[in-house]
Amino acid sequence: MNPLTFFLRRLVTALVTLFGVTLITFTLTHLISSNPLVAWLGKSASIDPQLAQIYIKIYHLKSPLYLQYFYYIDGLLHADWGFSFSKGEPVAQAVSQTLPYTIQLVILSLLFTIILGVAGGILSARFHGSILDKTIRTLYILGYASPAFFIALVLILVFSLFLPVLPTGGAAPVGVTLPKPITHIPLLDALIEGDWTAFSSLLRHAILPSLALSLGLFGVVTRVLRSSILELINSNFIRAARARGVSENKVYFYAFKNSLVAVITLLAITVNFTLVADIFVENIFAYPGVGQYVVQAALSLDYPAVLAITLVYAIIIVTANFIADLLYAVVDPRIRYE
Amino acid sequence: MKMWQPLKSFWRLITYNLETKVGFSIVALFVLTSIIEAIGGYRILPYNPLKTFVGKPFSPPSVLHPFGTTKLGRDLFSMIIAGAPNDALVSFFVVGFSFSVGGLLGAAAGYVGGILDELLMRITDTFFAIPALILGMAIAMILGPSPYHLMFALAIIWWPPYARLTRSEALRLANMPFVASAKLSGISGPRIVLRHIFVPVLSTLLVYATLDIGTVVLTYSGLSYLGLAVRPPYPDWGYLVAQYQEYIIYAPWLSLIPAGVIMVVAAGFSLLGDGIRGAIQAERGR
Repeated sequence: MNPLTFFLRRLVTALVTLFGVTLITFTLTHLISSNPLVAWLGKSASIDPQLAQIYIKIYHLKSPLYLQYFYYIDGLLHADWGFSFSKGEPVAQAVSQTLPYTIQLVILSLLFTIILGVAGGILSARFHGSILDKTIRTLYILGYASPAFFIALVLILVFSLFLPVLPTGGAAPVGVTLPKPITHIPLLDALIEGDWTAFSSLLRHAILPSLALSLGLFGVVTRVLRSSILELINSNFIRAARARGVSENKVYFYAFKNSLVAVITLLAITVNFTLVADIFVENIFAYPGVGQYVVQAALSLDYPAVLAITLVYAIIIVTANFIADLLYAVVDPRIRYE
Repeated sequence: MKMWQPLKSFWRLITYNLETKVGFSIVALFVLTSIIEAIGGYRILPYNPLKTFVGKPFSPPSVLHPFGTTKLGRDLFSMIIAGAPNDALVSFFVVGFSFSVGGLLGAAAGYVGGILDELLMRITDTFFAIPALILGMAIAMILGPSPYHLMFALAIIWWPPYARLTRSEALRLANMPFVASAKLSGISGPRIVLRHIFVPVLSTLLVYATLDIGTVVLTYSGLSYLGLAVRPPYPDWGYLVAQYQEYIIYAPWLSLIPAGVIMVVAAGFSLLGDGIRGAIQAERGR
């Protein structure tokens, strides 16, 4: 299979999956609600019949389900994601304001997860069976079993009582003017414009939330990396290296380099977990991202918003999967010829 | 004594190492507490969890109130015990449902193959692209807050990994001689799927399910934290954390203890599952 065919094939799979996501979310949510009108409008439907009529018309609620689905897809493709009444603006607009904050948080946290996970994996493989190995193992089991809000609350407690060096709420203080949108990701924009005050302030506010995400998830990487290194350490190329007198630390480095393939496959699942944990972390740290928006939307029965955000999450996860597939094929050429 | 054999091997499995021992103790404590509380109701608790001012408001953990008291002087210990059955019911139901439905679907798809298999793979792929918590949130939002609604919402989205796991095993088993001979002796398709494909996969599925119950507990308490499980004043672990997190500086125990309980229960299931997997592998390796 040549690289282009491989690329196109994976792209088609990704698009089919996204189509499936719209089908599942749409049918599930519509089959469950016996009266879609109440689901869309809440109790106000019975109070204001005129509003109800307008909604029936806009969302074609009297049409059969397959037609409603057709209108929904048609709207999605024309950038009409519905109106979010919990925000009082179109869903697409609300998402485009909140998503950049979530993206910068998730990327920063992926960075922390990789650093912590790789360090943990190498150390616990290099010194396997030691106290250090066991400590790391205990830490990641506890981290993995912790609800995201637990880690976030502990961090807030520690950093506001004992170690008041980092802010524990918001994305930036009121006084700081945000950079002009270029990439629309505030942290990146501040860097591009060389606005150091804004950059350092944005970064400082993002550290604790993203650390809260990573402390729960680094074990996903550590665990796989450790077992992969320990498996490779008994393979022939390592035995040959040892026979040539290569130092033990260097031997482990060789094994680590060959284990990176295993870490790449974890990308998609880590992004998935991070997005879920991010919902809680954003709410606790009052971080103005999609996570906070979706909770606010769900609690006020803002149906179009929740459907749209579900799709946004799916797009991010499918993209991460797609990137992981490509990276995997680059690192390990055998995949392309399967 | 033949009838003691399964019990004996079960005992060997849970006393395999420190991990399984700790994990099993936590799980047993959680399950027993939930059952006793579900049968006994609020009467068996030291204080009625809904009754206000049974102690001084915001008193820290003490002998009288092991987990302290809340803003309205409710006893946190009683509230946490009272909330246990919800988590147990939801997690065991969701995993049990996924286990049987997902497992059978996967076994059938792997055995039959063709269109059925392809269809199942595409459906599961799609479910893997949506975080369960988000979809659960969307469904629970429509149904309204209740542990039963969450149980239903999670059950219909939780089965795909079970289907995938069973399917990959089924593909391997479908080509085994014992399946071929079963087919030749005229045993019907559904019976082969059940007896010769699903049953041999049970031990693999059980290990996964044990690990998975902890994940359901985490997801359920997350949804409960967001206010989708119970309405006040009824106690539920995740919701307790959300209710008292604003006092994190003034009275940290109020939110940290319920959150810690969730962590311990989730860790218990993952220790037990990991340990059992190790024990089974060691047994097979011998």
